Amino acid sequence: MSYAADRPATRWLNKVPEITLAFWIIKIMSTTVGETGADFLAVNAGWGQGATRGLMMSLLAIALILQMRTRKYTPWIYWLTVVLVSIVGTQITDLLTDGLGVSLYVSTGVFAVALAAFFAIWYRVEGTLSIGAIDTPRRELFYWAAILGTFALGTAAGDLATEAVGLGFSLGAVSFGILLAAVYTAWRCGANAVPTFWIAYILTRPFGASLGDLLTQSRTYGGFGLGAASTSLLFLTVIVVLVAAAQFAASSRTRAGAAE
Amino acid sequence: MRHPTTISRLLVAVSVCAALGLAAGCSKRADSADALTAAPASAAAQGGSPTSASKLGDLSQFRTIAADVSGFVAKGDLAGGKTRIKDLEVAWDEAEAGLKPRAADDWHVLDKAIDRALEALRADHPTQADCTAAMNDLLHTFDKLAGKTA
Repeated sequence: MSYAADRPATRWLNKVPEITLAFWIIKIMSTTVGETGADFLAVNAGWGQGATRGLMMSLLAIALILQMRTRKYTPWIYWLTVVLVSIVGTQITDLLTDGLGVSLYVSTGVFAVALAAFFAIWYRVEGTLSIGAIDTPRRELFYWAAILGTFALGTAAGDLATEAVGLGFSLGAVSFGILLAAVYTAWRCGANAVPTFWIAYILTRPFGASLGDLLTQSRTYGGFGLGAASTSLLFLTVIVVLVAAAQFAASSRTRAGAAE
Repeated sequence: MRHPTTISRLLVAVSVCAALGLAAGCSKRADSADALTAAPASAAAQGGSPTSASKLGDLSQFRTIAADVSGFVAKGDLAGGKTRIKDLEVAWDEAEAGLKPRAADDWHVLDKAIDRALEALRADHPTQADCTAAMNDLLHTFDKLAGKTA
């Protein structure tokens, strides 16, 4: 990985976090929190889907600008961007499915092909899909576009499995959990880290959604009946604690670096 | 990128799987209990009473709200209907993940009917004729789906 070659004049450090267990916990939980938040605005607060979409897209644009302007990984900005990408990715799929009546089979297929094509272009341009070196603006744009694509595909594929095929959220959570365990095992057994990361990134979207539904849905429907508000509050607390810990660690690393 | 915490990760993975398995087991039991109670309900449903079960399960809590809204509209209280139909919108949205997997096509039919009722009542200048038509259509959709037991 010789990424010292085409560095820009201003040096960027890697702009994205290391892949740890905390990374996946935040990523999975942010799906539920983001969706509940957007749902609350659209339905309970009475904004409607259109206005909520507009707001979330504007917020995402602002977060992306903030994220692109930083020169190193800044946990709170990074994760804010991920939550907003998650919401907008979900809204795109919902708009296609519920608004425009596009079949989930079609959207899943189209998103899968589009994402594969996108990765091929990214690979041709950069020579690597590694997320260990997101250190130029172009690479970072590739990174965020890919993240948006994985959320759209993950939403469509997940809805296809749980709703159209009728798996439901309990079986869905188990199925996606087993698939994730298989990807994890493959990675432990030496499978390439880059494809396993992106596959896991797609799978965690429906896994998080099913897990969220399992906790929030009423017992009548086979859920735990915790309700959307308490579940989101619980998840949000975990996210805030983990992101704050990451932010604190990043800041003390910077201070240590400056003191040297 | 790899950390020497294989064992702890493995433990987490195993416990998550175990928790999920347990959860699936519990909800399966709930599902089959559901099925048991649903069977006599659907047998009694042939009369098309408002409480009968459809492929989507028991929709009576939603139909009750729709009937309330319809009552407001019949009295000419469109504002009251608009307030009450919000309860339907919220309850319907909350139950989406639980209901849709049971019969996605039926869910969409009902979802569209609810959308049309919401539109009629939330129009800038709602008319009693439009609202009555939309609410009748919605109640009819509930009853049609309830009669269509699989």
